[in-house]
Amino acid sequence: MLVLDGLAKTYGQVRALDGCSFTVDRGRMIGFLGPNGVGKTTAMRAIFGLVRLDAGSVTWNGRPVADEDRMRFGYMPEARGLYPKMKAFDQLVYLGTLHGMTRPQAKAAAGRWLETLGLADRADSPVEELSHGNQQRVQLAAALVHEPELLVLDEPFSGLDPLGVETMAGILRDQADRGVAVVFSSHQLDLVEDLCEDVAIIDHGRVVLSGNVDELKDASAYRRLDVEIEDGGDFFRHLRGVVAEETDGDRHRLLVDKGTDVRELLAEAAAAGRIRRFVYTTPSLSDLFREAVSR
Amino acid sequence: MTSLETVRMVAAREFRERGKSRAYLISSAVTLGIILAMVVIPAVLSGRGRTFTVGVLGEGNDPILAAAEALTADDESPTTIERISFDDRDEASTALEEGEVDAVLVDGRELLVTTTGGFGGSDLERLLQQAASTRRIQELLTTGGAAADVVEILTAEALEVVPLRGERGEEAARRGMIAYGGLVLMYIAILSYGAWLLTGVTEEKSNRVIEVLLATMKPWQLLAGKMVGIGLLGILQFVVTLITATVAIRVTNLFDFPEIPVDLLLSMVLWFLLGYGLYSVAYGAAGSLVSRAEDAQTAAFPMTMVAVVGFFVSFRALADPSSASAVVMTFIPPVAPFVVPVRVAFGAIPLWEHAAAVAVTVGFLAVLVRLAGRVYAGALLHYGGRLKFREAFRSAEM
Repeated sequence: MLVLDGLAKTYGQVRALDGCSFTVDRGRMIGFLGPNGVGKTTAMRAIFGLVRLDAGSVTWNGRPVADEDRMRFGYMPEARGLYPKMKAFDQLVYLGTLHGMTRPQAKAAAGRWLETLGLADRADSPVEELSHGNQQRVQLAAALVHEPELLVLDEPFSGLDPLGVETMAGILRDQADRGVAVVFSSHQLDLVEDLCEDVAIIDHGRVVLSGNVDELKDASAYRRLDVEIEDGGDFFRHLRGVVAEETDGDRHRLLVDKGTDVRELLAEAAAAGRIRRFVYTTPSLSDLFREAVSR
Repeated sequence: MTSLETVRMVAAREFRERGKSRAYLISSAVTLGIILAMVVIPAVLSGRGRTFTVGVLGEGNDPILAAAEALTADDESPTTIERISFDDRDEASTALEEGEVDAVLVDGRELLVTTTGGFGGSDLERLLQQAASTRRIQELLTTGGAAADVVEILTAEALEVVPLRGERGEEAARRGMIAYGGLVLMYIAILSYGAWLLTGVTEEKSNRVIEVLLATMKPWQLLAGKMVGIGLLGILQFVVTLITATVAIRVTNLFDFPEIPVDLLLSMVLWFLLGYGLYSVAYGAAGSLVSRAEDAQTAAFPMTMVAVVGFFVSFRALADPSSASAVVMTFIPPVAPFVVPVRVAFGAIPLWEHAAAVAVTVGFLAVLVRLAGRVYAGALLHYGGRLKFREAFRSAEM
């Protein structure tokens, strides 16, 4: 289990981390969300000892992370990079051995990952000759080649085409199912919602919301109401507890107080006109996100 | 896995990947090409028929000159010798001084030359010595001398060489030549291999592989591994070049290859390592300050300046290896790797000074490694513009 506890880091005037705390269990996948420049990358770097923290601690299985532990961590940094002139296969073997594998082990693993990622025929190509998408795949393989127990990926989905996203998502899910603790940052909230059981939302260097996505949705003070009423006009103006609304012709997407009686809402809608659609549900991850980082 | 294993792996990667790179292979080929050209072209040129003008004074010179011509008679292009007779020594010396003659042969025993140029003497000097020896052996054979006499003739110089200027000192001249050659090689090696480290470090930043690497190792391990790997490649290139040059010189017989005294060789190896250590650490730190290859040279400018200045001031040591300035430079670490081998070559450095210079430089290197390591660590994850040394030093994370 990875625990980040009260991480704080200031760069000059900028407070990058300000009491950032969250937990990643083995076999779980956590989406690490937050607007740009709120400390996601700094927090991830801290896991690898790349940041000298002003305060706080990073522990793995209850002990402060040591160099030996990092040998079993996999990292895909935001600043992607490999040796451009080195062959994909050689590169993976090198990184595998740096993580403590023997050369034969590393070679076997590198071959396996290139195969899995559909790059077996490009194993002997220098990385610079690969397409952008394939370079991303090699980068992912670089994080996975030593079969890590913890996988940390900074924006793994950025720049991927839909097929690439699918492959990446499949591999991450696979890793979590095999007992790896997976944490990744992303801006693609829909994707995170589909993929992760857990999220941590960070703002101003601090985790403002974290936990199981469904539980967080349940615990939200709001509910989502999606209604479509023929010539309903602005029926919601009379409703109590509407926090936000978006209107597109006859369709209204509302955010209402959790305490609002759904039967009352339905009655109001029916009174306004013929109902074509009436969906009452928990808020989406995007709603939670907006709520958590509202400024 | 121990720290040293990581260092070894980094070094091995540097060695393998850089050794295979086109840049390394081309630079090695170019160096070899230049060395071969330097040796082969003069050898080819000197093989053409040449004409020397020799002044003769006194008796017994003609047989030697005839023997000299006879020696090259079987060559594709024989050497011819023109003779000018002189009546007294002053007249001959003046003619020699003014370049009317290349050398003056006196009574078949003495050879007047202008200076003891280079080492091993000029081609003419060598030819005449050979001719004189040949003559004496012929004489010996007709009079029926002992084998011991032949050996003596072969090992001793048949003609006594008298330079108009300067001291005649075979050993000193030889050492001087080696010192000069060694100095130039040292300078080239330290600067070019230092530059590899500079660009190597910057490359890792500019292609951003650095963050993946630092997730598995400490900055000092990466720096040390790169230094060792590149150092080994450098030494390999250096040794191959030296061997090629030696073989080429032997084959073409361009000049007598000097035997390198062991003490000098050891001292050159030691100071090469120290010099490479100093400059590569400094270059590594400089390389870490910038993110783009085009900025690397600018960042390294101070080190390059120091090396250039060190190189030129060491010529002063070459001119006068015992001077006060040479002694002072012995204890200035960035300059010492250039100056000390020169002084050793001339035997102009007491053992204690040599030992003290090594100690001072090693101490300086130890401090530099810590400083540079910290700058390196602080700067590695800083992308964007050029970082100042002080900022990098302060922001060291590890």
